[in-house]
Amino acid sequence: MTEQDDIDPNTPQQTETIVGLGKGLDVGTANLAAAVQNDEGGLTVNVERNAFLDIPSDVYSKNMLSKLKVPYVVNNGKLVVIGEAAFELANVFGRETRRPMADGLVSPNEQDALPMMKMIIQKILGEPQQAGENCYFSVPAESLDVDNNVVYHQGLFESLINKLGYEAHAINEAHAVVFSELAENDFTGIGLSFGGGMANACIAYKSIPCLSFSVARGGDWIDKNVANVLGVPCSKATAIKERGIDIRDPKNREEEAVAIYYRSLINYVLENIKSRFESGQNMPSFSEPIDIACAGGTSMVGGFIEVFREEFAKIDFPIPIGRIFRSEEALTAVAKGCLVAAAIGDE
Amino acid sequence: MESVNEIKEQLSARSRTATLDELASEGRRRVRLIRAEHVAQMVREAVNVAVEGSGLLEPAQVEALVAKSRHEFQAALREREHELEGARRKEAELQETERELADLKARFVEMTQKLATARSELQQAHDELDAAREAQPPQQATVSADQLTPLVQELAELKASMANQQGASAPGAQGTVDFEAAINKLAGSLNERLDTFGKKMGVSAAVGGDNPVDLGGMFREEIDKDLESNMQNIQPKQKAAGGIAGNLAKLKKLKGGG
Repeated sequence: MTEQDDIDPNTPQQTETIVGLGKGLDVGTANLAAAVQNDEGGLTVNVERNAFLDIPSDVYSKNMLSKLKVPYVVNNGKLVVIGEAAFELANVFGRETRRPMADGLVSPNEQDALPMMKMIIQKILGEPQQAGENCYFSVPAESLDVDNNVVYHQGLFESLINKLGYEAHAINEAHAVVFSELAENDFTGIGLSFGGGMANACIAYKSIPCLSFSVARGGDWIDKNVANVLGVPCSKATAIKERGIDIRDPKNREEEAVAIYYRSLINYVLENIKSRFESGQNMPSFSEPIDIACAGGTSMVGGFIEVFREEFAKIDFPIPIGRIFRSEEALTAVAKGCLVAAAIGDE
Repeated sequence: MESVNEIKEQLSARSRTATLDELASEGRRRVRLIRAEHVAQMVREAVNVAVEGSGLLEPAQVEALVAKSRHEFQAALREREHELEGARRKEAELQETERELADLKARFVEMTQKLATARSELQQAHDELDAAREAQPPQQATVSADQLTPLVQELAELKASMANQQGASAPGAQGTVDFEAAINKLAGSLNERLDTFGKKMGVSAAVGGDNPVDLGGMFREEIDKDLESNMQNIQPKQKAAGGIAGNLAKLKKLKGGG
């Protein structure tokens, strides 16, 4: 697994010297990530897990969480632990976290989680550098395999981000991958975002999206199935998946289950992309082979791109493909692509 | 009554039958007649007198015995009649059930035939659909003449409208405003049509449109809610990522600005 370099949040020069205007926000089912430019020409990406855990509210618990620097919110008389800490606590106690999003979209069952999501987004985005600063946020494309309502999801986050003082703009998350990873190809090729709730695809020509769609399977689908076959909570299955395994070389029964479902997911996504391309509706044609760039947290598992290439070789893909690669910054590529869109939008 | 029959049988067995002529030939001109019921009555009375005379049973006991026997006989008779009525009722129910079973069997046969027909029609429809798919050439991403015709017509109408308005009003600022309004209307109409075509052809604009859906009112209460939290004292996890200068330069070049 390619891990990105973590930054010590207390290092002042990396948190106080933001120069470029515009911000990018990846609104993911599993993680929320905000990208901002710094004065060294690089990026700082603030990441928080999109999950909560309710615990009994009392003074002792609050003091203890504050001492341990665990973020919490008191909502409707309940103490709600937020983000990565919620995920870790859930694993310790063998519980399931609350997830405000499902299948790439805001979950109708978690309406009361909106204030917490707003607080996380506010924290990772920070204050706008000027009123109405551009903030491009990711949204999924409509799904091929389920009936979902992207308009509602998009409208909700537009309102929320505008409320924070930004001017919100939506961008398809796979299109953001194109902006982030296919600059060398003049932004021509296929961007794939393997997220927690969905896999999104965008085929672009010179930065213009020709075709965008999604399938409603992602990392959560793997977790759910692994949890079912192993008889453990989904949070535990997520932890198994994220502990640094290689799906080409599973070491035990748990890793074997993860590898099986990863291969199934990749095959499902490729078959759907192939089927969509073969449907012949508005398909662009390319004179040269185009590249496929993969990104998203679900693509970070060891051996992902090798298994992807193996499964790709099994199908007769209708478009000539050159390179297939995974972003070196898979977890933050969508946020980075959103930032590129925001920055170019301000010029 | 049974005793009367028995007495009749006994009388028949122990008497002979003779015609009136035979009796006359025997010199008998007159005979005495007695009915069997009277004989039975006489026997019953004689038995009662004998029993009473024997001293074995009191007259009241004899009456009670007779009444009890009659009562038991009547009860047994009613019970048998009741059993007979129940048997007749069950027989009628059985016949009704047999009729219903016969109806259900007939409906089952009918539904089975209909199901087979429906399956056959479904299979035929599938085959026709597959054949149609194979026969149909791939759709081209072009706008058909039918789709373009209304647009061209609308353009011509707008031009005519503009010419009329310019001719009717005085030249100057008002004419310029009308012209701009007409151009804006035309551009808006074309954008809407192109957007509709794009959606029909499966193209979704990845970047949001100019008119985002404002759902702020729906969630004002949740979004504006002030919550007690310690988040102001906690830094989110940060990751370093490569710069975007190269990406921006490429994009500017594509846009013709660099």
